[in-house]
Amino acid sequence: MNLTTLAFFLLSFIAVGSAIMMITSKSPVHSVLWLIVVFFSISGHYILLNAQFLAVVNIIVYAGAIMVLFLFVVMLMNLNAETEPIKNYRLQLIGVLAGGTLLLVLITAMMRIDVEQVVQMKIGDAGLIKVLGMTLFKNYVLPFEISSVLFLSAMIGAVIIGKKD
Amino acid sequence: MNAIILSAIWGVVMMLGGVFIKNKLVPKYLAVIGLVVIFVAHLNELISKKSLFSINVHNMIRIDNFNLTFIAIVLACTLIYFLLSASDIEKVGPHVSEYFALIFFVLCGISLAATFNTLLLLFIGIEIISIPLYILTGSDKRNLKSNEAALKYFLMGAFSTGIMLMGIAFIYGGTPNASFFIDNFQLGTGKMPVMIAIGLVFLLISLSFKVSAAPFHFWTPDVYDGAPTVFTSFMSTIVKVGGFFAFIRLFQNAFGLIQDQWQLLIVFITIATLLIGNITAVFQQSVKRMLAYSSIAQAGFMLLALFALNDKAKEGILLYAAAYSLATIGFFAILIKIEDYTIDGFNGLAKEQPMVAFAATVFLLSLTGVPLTAGFQSKFFMLMAAVENGKQFWIVIVAVLFAAISAYYYFRIIQAMYFKEATNVIFQSNKPSRFFKSILILTLILIIVIGVYPEVLIGWMYR
Repeated sequence: MNLTTLAFFLLSFIAVGSAIMMITSKSPVHSVLWLIVVFFSISGHYILLNAQFLAVVNIIVYAGAIMVLFLFVVMLMNLNAETEPIKNYRLQLIGVLAGGTLLLVLITAMMRIDVEQVVQMKIGDAGLIKVLGMTLFKNYVLPFEISSVLFLSAMIGAVIIGKKD
Repeated sequence: MNAIILSAIWGVVMMLGGVFIKNKLVPKYLAVIGLVVIFVAHLNELISKKSLFSINVHNMIRIDNFNLTFIAIVLACTLIYFLLSASDIEKVGPHVSEYFALIFFVLCGISLAATFNTLLLLFIGIEIISIPLYILTGSDKRNLKSNEAALKYFLMGAFSTGIMLMGIAFIYGGTPNASFFIDNFQLGTGKMPVMIAIGLVFLLISLSFKVSAAPFHFWTPDVYDGAPTVFTSFMSTIVKVGGFFAFIRLFQNAFGLIQDQWQLLIVFITIATLLIGNITAVFQQSVKRMLAYSSIAQAGFMLLALFALNDKAKEGILLYAAAYSLATIGFFAILIKIEDYTIDGFNGLAKEQPMVAFAATVFLLSLTGVPLTAGFQSKFFMLMAAVENGKQFWIVIVAVLFAAISAYYYFRIIQAMYFKEATNVIFQSNKPSRFFKSILILTLILIIVIGVYPEVLIGWMYR
């Protein structure tokens, strides 16, 4: 068992463990915090797969932006024991069905995977920031630069609409 | 290429200019100068076939005479729009240079949507057109109607964008050789696969929404009515023909060979658009709302180009873009200055301002499609294209009937201007200036020149 395998098992243990903690913990704030731990350990997995860019983006976007949004919503709703919704049997059944369907799809997808191709990611350079940058600034330079106009106009809009006259 | 890059750059210049220029009158001149520069650079590209910028775009956009001519028409119409209405943009709110910046970004989006060669760029182009429009619609922040219109437009536009993305995903998923460029969706003449068919219908729905074709037109009257009138003028003309051009290019290049499999859908949309637009416009009391419905009705005629998809249709859409935009921009420019937006507000205009009333009459005649005006030629080319297509001949008869109905609501305004006495003040505080009148006359001359000699425009396509 080399270091990579050890790191993989450690990260997987943390990821699965904190995912279970997330769905079992009573307080919604704790759930959100456990979810952040899940995202960090999944980012660790991405680094093991040599996909550095994905790892960094995962931390910035999911663990950073989206989780802060979740925390805000949870805190603003001011959930506590009294306001907890009644546990409905039918709702639970729907949840099991939805989760089970996703699990089924994932298992089917896993079974059809060619293992050789999966491991290639580890030694390949597809996930490196350098390769991504080369693709973005060579083949896709026009859409990449033009989409900045889109974001700029959205920003101008936010200022125009939001600013007090 | 020149138009895309320069208008994006000038948008940024206008935006930064707003930080340093505190005088509200300056941005107007800056915008006109910028547009003239872009227009000249673009004409240079149209004539010499060389762009100022040599960027390897990896075949993601395709530039030919057809779309270069179209962009030139769009830029010229925007220039006239600026000359006629720029002083009214100043009155909308305090962020004058930002409004101009957004209009330049829209121009960038239209140039992109006119030249795209991949669905990715179609999506970005349509979004660059849409997002500034949501903002311009809501720019009159104190007016509840404007707020409502902006929110409605934003929510429904976001939905239609979602549908478009879903359609693009289906098409990429269903393309056998996983190709990225739209030419390669040409699937031979066989039956199209289910995935492509679903994607095609989704794209059809979302683009019909963007050009306000029935039955996806419900946002149009409210948004056009609620938005500040200067911006209604911009988005019901230049933006709408830009959307149409993207629509036609996509369906011609990507799905042209299998036209017989989706043509019936277009027939249905065309008839519904003509019917709803024309019949509802008859009952409107507010001229602004009537123009919103008339823009739906004119969209029905432009859809005939999508029905026909031949060379005549290409010529027709160029003419229609010019004729419809010029006449509507001109008429809106007069409407902005009028105090009362109901038809009675036009009573007695001919006595007080004979020149302005005459120009308005010519614009309305052109919108109806009376000979010697550009509107006649454009409608004529559209109908000829539909006849040459050879299938579903009856659609031509229906279109002519609805064109006759449209005469009723356009002529009502002419009647009010010439045969009724003015009851109260016609104009708001600002009377039409001499400069305004001379630009109106220029627009009028352009309409008549195109109406008499349409080769002025079409000739550029075959150089």
